[in-house]
Order: sequence, then C-alpha cells, then structure tokens
Amino acid sequence: MTSLQQHDIASGSLDRMWAIGARRPEGRGLILLVAVVLGALLFEPGVFTAYPATLGRIALIGLVALGLTAVILMGELDLSVASTLAVSGVVMAMIPNLALGIIAALIVGLIVGAINAFFVVVVGINSFIATLGMLFALRGLALVLSDEQPVRLADVDDGVAFGAPLIGPLTPRVLIFIVLLVGLHVFLTRMRAGREFYAVGGNRAAAKDAGIPVTRRIFTGFMISGGVAALAGAINTLERTAATPTAGSTVLLASIAAAIIGGISLNGGRGSIIGTVIGTLALGLLQIGLALAAVQQDIQQIFIGAVLFIAVVTDPASLRAVAANLRSSMGRGGGATAEPMPSSPQPVAHQ
Amino acid sequence: MTNIATRQGGRPAGAKVSTHRGGQIASVIQWSAERGIFVVTGVLIVAAAVFVQGFASVVNITDVFHRAAPVGIIAVGMTFVVISGNYLDLSVVPQVATSAVILIAVSNSYGLLPAIVVATLVSLVYGLINGVAVGYFKANAVIVTLATTYIGLGVLRWVSGGNIFFGPRGGTIDTLGQLKFGPVPLSALVLVFMAVLLGFVLSRTGFGFALRAYGSNKDATRLAGVATSRVVLGAFLITSLSAMIAGFVLAAFSNTAVSTVSTGMDFGALAAIIIGGNSVFGGRGSILRTVLGVVFVSVLTNILVLTDIGYGWQQVAIGVLIVLAVSIDALARRVGK
Repeated sequence: MTSLQQHDIASGSLDRMWAIGARRPEGRGLILLVAVVLGALLFEPGVFTAYPATLGRIALIGLVALGLTAVILMGELDLSVASTLAVSGVVMAMIPNLALGIIAALIVGLIVGAINAFFVVVVGINSFIATLGMLFALRGLALVLSDEQPVRLADVDDGVAFGAPLIGPLTPRVLIFIVLLVGLHVFLTRMRAGREFYAVGGNRAAAKDAGIPVTRRIFTGFMISGGVAALAGAINTLERTAATPTAGSTVLLASIAAAIIGGISLNGGRGSIIGTVIGTLALGLLQIGLALAAVQQDIQQIFIGAVLFIAVVTDPASLRAVAANLRSSMGRGGGATAEPMPSSPQPVAHQ
Repeated sequence: MTNIATRQGGRPAGAKVSTHRGGQIASVIQWSAERGIFVVTGVLIVAAAVFVQGFASVVNITDVFHRAAPVGIIAVGMTFVVISGNYLDLSVVPQVATSAVILIAVSNSYGLLPAIVVATLVSLVYGLINGVAVGYFKANAVIVTLATTYIGLGVLRWVSGGNIFFGPRGGTIDTLGQLKFGPVPLSALVLVFMAVLLGFVLSRTGFGFALRAYGSNKDATRLAGVATSRVVLGAFLITSLSAMIAGFVLAAFSNTAVSTVSTGMDFGALAAIIIGGNSVFGGRGSILRTVLGVVFVSVLTNILVLTDIGYGWQQVAIGVLIVLAVSIDALARRVGK
C-alpha cells in the first residue's frame, strides 16, 4: 500500500499530463509532436532550415488527411481517396486546357464521393468495403484512361510556376493546405451542418431522432473527402507536370495514420481538424527528420509503424479494455499471477 | 438459420396478393445472396471452357491453379478474421514476403528444417501482436495491421537488403514447387488441404462456433462466458500461419523470394472473401464460400488475360464485383427483416 502511495506521488504530475492527454483526443498527437520537435532540435536541426521541403511533404499527406477527417468523424472510412487522387490527376492531364482540367478533376472527385455515399447510405453497405471496391475500380479506370502510361500535362510552364513560392517560402500547395484547414475547421466547429457531423458519428440513431438530416450529412462528408482527394491529385499533377495512374498508393496509408495519430476515433464522433494537423505535422517532421539524418527508408517505415501502433494501443478506450481484461482474468485465476492492481480509474495509464 | 430467414421473408409476403411481386423480388435477392456465387462460378467456368480459346488446356489450368493457390491460402485463413467482424489483416503482405524470404534464405545457409522453424516463430509473433492488440486492447484491426505492415515491411527490407534470394536448382524446395499431378500442382493440393482443415475448424469445433457467435453478436457472446479476446487472438494466429504457408508456396513455385513478392495480396484475398459472399459484418460465412470466391476471381482474371483485356479493366471488374456482392448481401439483410 505504501509503495503504491509513493508511486502515486512520484507520478502525480505525469498523471495530470496524462489526464489532459486522455481527455482531449489530440493529446497523444501533441505529446508525439513535442517529442519529435525536441528530438529534431537536438539531433537534426536541418529539419527546420529545410522547411520548404518539410512543408511540401506535410501538405501532400495533410490535404488528403483533412478530407478523410470529415468522413471518419461520422464513423465511416474512405479508402478510395488514393485512387480518386490518381483518376482525377489523369483526367486533368488529358484535358488540354488547364483551368477546364482542374475543374473536371474536382468534379470527378465530387462524383466519386457521391457514389461512395450512395452505396453507404442508400444501399447500406459498410463504407470500408464500398470504398474498397471503389479503390479497385478507380485504380483500374486510371490505368485504362491513361493506357498505363504517365500522362504529360499539355501546359508544362504553368505546372512549373505552380511549384514556385508565392508568399515568402510558401508554395501554392502549402497555401491551399492552410486555406482548406482553416475552412474545414470553421465548418466543423462553427457551422451547424459541420457540428452535426459529430452527432452523426457519435450516435446515428439519436441524430436521426433529433431531426438531423443524416443522409445529407454523409453525402456531404464523402463529397468533401472525394473533392479534397481530387484537389490533391490536381496539385500533384501540376507539380510533377504529369499524371501517373498509380499515384497516391502511399498517400492513403500515411494520411490515415496521420488522422489516427491526431486522435480521431474510427468509431466516429471524436477528433478534430486541429488534431489531424497535429498528427500530420508530427508524422511529416518525423519522416523528414529521419530522412535528413540519413536513416534508411526501411527504418523510417519501422518508426512510423511503431508510432502508429503505440498511438492505437494507448487509446484510452484500449487501455480500459485491457485493464478490464486483466481484472477479469485475475478474478478467475485467484490472483496467482498477481501484480498489484492500482484502483485508480485508469490503472495502466502510468506507462 | 439463414434458410429460416429466407422462408420468413419469402412466404408471408408471397401470400398476400398486393405484395406478391415484392415478395418475389425479395426471394430472388435472398436466393442470390445465398446461392448466387455457386451458380455464377459454375456458369463462368463452363462459358470459359466453351468460348475462350486456350482456357481448357492443361498448361492454362495448371497456371490458374498456380496463381490461385497463394492468394487462396491467405484468403482461407483471413476468413477467420473477417468472420470475427474485424475486416481484414493488412499485415499478410509482409508476412507472406517474410516467410518466402526466410524459406529460401535460411534454408540456403542452414537447411530446410531451421527455415521452417524460424518462419513459424516469426509468424506466431505476428499473430500474437495483431491478435493481442485487436483482441485484448480492442484496437481497430485495420489500424493495428496497418502499423504492423509498416513495421514488418521495414524490418524485412532492412534485414534482406531488398535482395532477391535464389534457391539451388533441383533442391528440395524447387522439386516440391514443380511437383504436379496431371494438371494439378502441389500448391493447389495445399490449398485444398488448408481449406478442408480450416473448414472443419470453423464449422465443427467449439472455437469455430465461438468465433461465428462473436462475429454476429459480440456482447452476447462475451456475456455467455466465452473468452472473446482469446477467440480473436486465435483468428489472427490462424491468419498468420496461413500467410506463412502461402509464402512457402509462393517461394517454392518460383524458387526465388524478394520482399515485394506479395504486394496487393491483402486486398486481393479480401476481395475473394467478399465476392464469395462472406458477410463483412461478421458472423456469417464459410470456407467453401471463400474458396468459391478465389476460384471465381482467378478464373475471371485468367479469362481477361487470355482475351487480352488489360490489367486496368481487371481491377475495374474486381472493384465492381466487390460492391455488387456486398450490395446483394446488404439488400438480402434488409428484405429478410
């Protein structure tokens, strides 16, 4: 008992930090971000002097992650973003006029989002599987449209101009990312339709009973993620001055990882745009930092995987589940394998 | 259980004149959700044999078997994770590649038996990590296995240096990989063996029963006193061991192994499971359905290749089939109520 008390005193401040981390969904993402920034300052300050590259990298993953956030908040998932990015890029490059091409790309994204939402809401398929089907179908479509070759942009000069810094070191890609992040944040926190996303994700039946147009909100969410993915595809095509039909395959997993690390719950109803941005920053800085420190790409992957794994198993709900499991198995085993079980509400939280 | 549902949905509706047509449509939908894949697969094979040139040759059938076996073995194992209501195991990609590389590389230096032992240990580690995180920590399976995929591929490429490993020509692995009985290669027999074994586990054992119960109603199963965390762990261990065997089969066939050998097999296996008609909501499904899904996708892909239709259209076809299969399942559920 005394050792337990000592333990409590010693870890009191840690506990308080953890309490904040556990209450706010962004907490763990923030802890990771602080750790990565500190690590980078100590070992690889180049991360901050090479910020144009860092920002570009973050903006690419971050853009897709922002769109995904809108969908995940409602307890759905959109795997098709990777292929949407590829298809819209190819469509854009196939149209000689740049402005028309960009508009066409965005329309493709919105249509894909609407189709996804149709299958999820009207037909009633699990969104994970519906968008998995779209992931395959659209990837195929991108390959068919492009004849399995990269499609060169007709207007290369504008593409090159697009990669140049516009304000200070900020390239248009980064600016678009910032505008979108502010826009989505305002939408989800200040506007009625956006705030209702949380209700739809938290308890769909209750949201319906409360008169929230659930179907329309889900359509909006999927069209946001489709449209944003298409925007990312257009930006990618502009910067590379060509559209590759296989673009986006690595972006999918990275952007889901960024959103998860940012504290968004896959069950819906919990998370925020700020969290996703924090997750993206942490992941992007980690990646760039490791790359600048000349860490092999394979080992970078191991780091990212480990961070993601820790993020998902230290979710407060996960810790509660494992604590309940321990308690019940100890009850059955009569304490033979006993470790002292602290009686605080979140027993495993000290680690 | 589902047969009863069919009758309930079909008959009372059919008895009333006003909803007669609705009842018919409902029973058609339910019939296709129940039996559709059996008929469609049969029709596809017969049609291919009659109309597609070169399909019914011994060489081609052997080729279909060879291509179907690795994905099929993964799918048969992953069916357990799907039925437990946990979507899929993305980390089969590094698992298959790792076991393939271990089989060739370790047996080159230390012999076949140590290679199999090492691969089994690695496979158990994967299954334990995934299964404990999903079963005991109640973490989302997609994210957990996404993380282990990152870690696993990173470790594999780092350790193997991205090299291609070649087995000795005419060695045990090579011989087994080329072994054929008529048009049927050994790999296809391994798939059949795995399907029979795991089909028995799923439909005839207490574990299989608990898994299906857990997939259809988690809370009720837990309250009934089933150690549900252990059941989920079991599902992931079975998937891992199947992925290991798929890696062996893949390595033996080409007598080579490289870390990129299994790219895309995660979603490929899931596509076969879903197209076979297993419910992605968990609970309902069978190994037979998975095998039919594998056969259907393999034959379809083969037809598209033989008729010179590009890779792009193959992907479109698989995507459309996934959505179609799940739509029928969803509609059957709705009219069954």
